[in-house]
Amino acid sequence: MTVKAEGVSRRYFRKTGTANYFDAVQPVSLEIAPGGMTVLTGRSGSGKTTLLNMLSGLLVPTGGKVWYDDTDLYALDDRALSRLRSERTGVVPQGRSAVDTLTVLENILLPARLYQRELPVEAAVRWMEKLGIAPLRDARPAELSGGELRRMAIVRALAQAPDVLFADEPTGDLDDENTRLVLSAFRDFAHEEKKAVFMVTHENDALLYADRVLRMDHGQVTS
Amino acid sequence: MTKRKMFLRMITASLLRRRSRMLIALLSIGIGATILAGLVTIYVDVPRQMGAQFRSYGANMLILPREGETLTRADLDETLQAIPREELVGAAPYRYVRLDMTSRQQSFTAAGTDFAGVTQTSPYFSVEGAYPAQTRELLVGKEIAETIGVKVGSTMELTWQPTAAASELSPEESRVPGASLSGSAEGFGGGMVYVTAALNEDAAIDSLTVDVSTQTAEYGGRIPEDETFLAQFTGKTLPLTLGEDVDALSGATVTSGAIVDALNRAVQAAAPAKPRTVIFTVTGILTTGGEEEGYVFLSLQDMESMTGSDRLDVVELSVSAGADQLQTYADAVTGSGGKAQARLVKRVTRSEASVLEKLTALVFLVTLVVLLLTMICVSTTMMAVVSERRREIGLRKALGASDSSIRAEFLGEGLFLGLLGGVMGAVLGFVFAQAVSVNVFGSSITFQPLLLPAAILVSMAIAALSCLLPIRRAVAIDPALVLKGE
Ligand SMILES: Nc1ncnc2c1ncn2[C@@H]1O[C@H](COP(=O)(O)OP(=O)(O)OP(=O)(O)O)[C@@H](O)[C@H]1O
Ligand SMILES: [Mg+2]
Repeated sequence: MTVKAEGVSRRYFRKTGTANYFDAVQPVSLEIAPGGMTVLTGRSGSGKTTLLNMLSGLLVPTGGKVWYDDTDLYALDDRALSRLRSERTGVVPQGRSAVDTLTVLENILLPARLYQRELPVEAAVRWMEKLGIAPLRDARPAELSGGELRRMAIVRALAQAPDVLFADEPTGDLDDENTRLVLSAFRDFAHEEKKAVFMVTHENDALLYADRVLRMDHGQVTS
Repeated sequence: MTKRKMFLRMITASLLRRRSRMLIALLSIGIGATILAGLVTIYVDVPRQMGAQFRSYGANMLILPREGETLTRADLDETLQAIPREELVGAAPYRYVRLDMTSRQQSFTAAGTDFAGVTQTSPYFSVEGAYPAQTRELLVGKEIAETIGVKVGSTMELTWQPTAAASELSPEESRVPGASLSGSAEGFGGGMVYVTAALNEDAAIDSLTVDVSTQTAEYGGRIPEDETFLAQFTGKTLPLTLGEDVDALSGATVTSGAIVDALNRAVQAAAPAKPRTVIFTVTGILTTGGEEEGYVFLSLQDMESMTGSDRLDVVELSVSAGADQLQTYADAVTGSGGKAQARLVKRVTRSEASVLEKLTALVFLVTLVVLLLTMICVSTTMMAVVSERRREIGLRKALGASDSSIRAEFLGEGLFLGLLGGVMGAVLGFVFAQAVSVNVFGSSITFQPLLLPAAILVSMAIAALSCLLPIRRAVAIDPALVLKGE
């Protein structure tokens, strides 16, 4: 599946100096094709998360369109959009994203459970082993470190085998070795399973794994 | 761990985590449903118990003997002349005495009456079996039937024990040969004058004693010493008229008149009647929801042959006339100068109907308040749950959950609470209604089979309604905001 942004922009209405609004993302057009890993870098506040959320279907753009193949994402109603997102995308949010009452494995299987799909237990276990959190499968989120939680969120996105994986600073609280582990997992996912990975990061290492690097500055995307 | 097991664990874990909140919501729905179910049960059942009493007409006029008079059946016919035939729906005469059931060492209030009249004046009487149709047949109040265990077809041996009370006999009845009479009347200045007289074998006065100690000594007080005055009475037959049968003592006319009055009113000190026993067959058991359930009813003929008297204590009339017309009739009866006086009773129906109306309004109001309180409580609780789960809801949405699935989840939870609360309410509500009914109304209640589905339906509706606002809040949660890592 190809994700296509067509002049997508986002304007927030808030007081900024003299203006009453603030353009977090200037109109941008780009395409994310399967089999590759796209990395988006830029300074804090440059609009990376805003763009990623618009691409992943979480945030309605104030201008432009997002296409998943031939589907105009934001023309769908909530139910269809949710289903499409659940079937096609995997999301690793920037913040902490665990349901505290569920175990690590249950958290990982949650997206499939939301639609009563076959639970991808095998894939989950495989990715957990790869990222070194297999022993934690029955632990509770409260018992995990920040890095372990982060890897749990990454496995949750990977285990669904989505067409596009959106990751917002997935290596933020990881050490170098785990960062490399995650980045290579993403690259393998993109290359071997012919999926697309779209990742926001500050990590310089990430650039080495990327097939394509986009930079963002004051809401403007440059490549 | 199988998939199904895990799925169940996920749900129970999420419910258990919030069990205190869920318990509060459940309790408020349950208590609300309990009160409503109880109220509705009472509301439905009480009028049903009272039966037709709420709907039918009853007696609206009472005929009573005038002070110091006795009323007999013969007098009644005369009295009823004052009321047009076509407006008189029914008349039920009553004579009350105590009858003993010697075999059980019990005694009951027995009412002698005319059953044809009773069906007219007390249409709410509900009889299992039939009203007595001939003599020696008995209608037994439910309370008595239960305590002594009689059924339709049983026999009861009842005895009338004449009391020594003089009031049992009228002055006319008392004037039998050999009787000794006593009486009193108001004399001069309001003081009482007392007489005792013995009758000879011709029922004429044989001897007379007077007590005029309350009268002025130089006037009425002289009478006991005045033998010529007293001698006038000897050999005379009662009643007497002053100035015709006897002459007043000069200077003591009032006291003389009082003595004549006292004699005319004098009755026997002891009635010579004998106890009488009759074996009755029970033809019906009476349910009224009132004190009549503690009486036995027999025909007036039986009452007369047992007590030897045809006097009546009260006559209930059902007259089809408006309040003003009714008052006119009552005044006519009272003013006719006969032995009877009439009194109006507000129609049972009118007061009961207004009670029912007030009850309806009260039940409606309480229902409204309870519903409102329940909704506020459930809504607040669910609101708190949504706030608590804000992050989780946002995360679920980010992971692909649709608004409708969030909606369905909360609605499902609410409906589930409503179901549990409804079942709880129906059961506890019945217990509550039963307790209230037994303690307040003194009657027990039958379970309304419709109560269970109705209670469940109403509490589910209430729960669903209460969830609307919290659901809106949950749906409005923006995953993009929540996931910023607050
Ligand atoms: N809900 C909002 N309302 C108003 N302004 C917002 C909102 N969300 C973000 N912004 C603004 O938009 C700009 C871009 O935000 P965004 O979260 O996309 O930055 P970012 O590039 O992801 O930064 P970081 O690297 O710190 O995560 C910021 O200046 C921020 O203040
Ligand atoms: Mg960001």
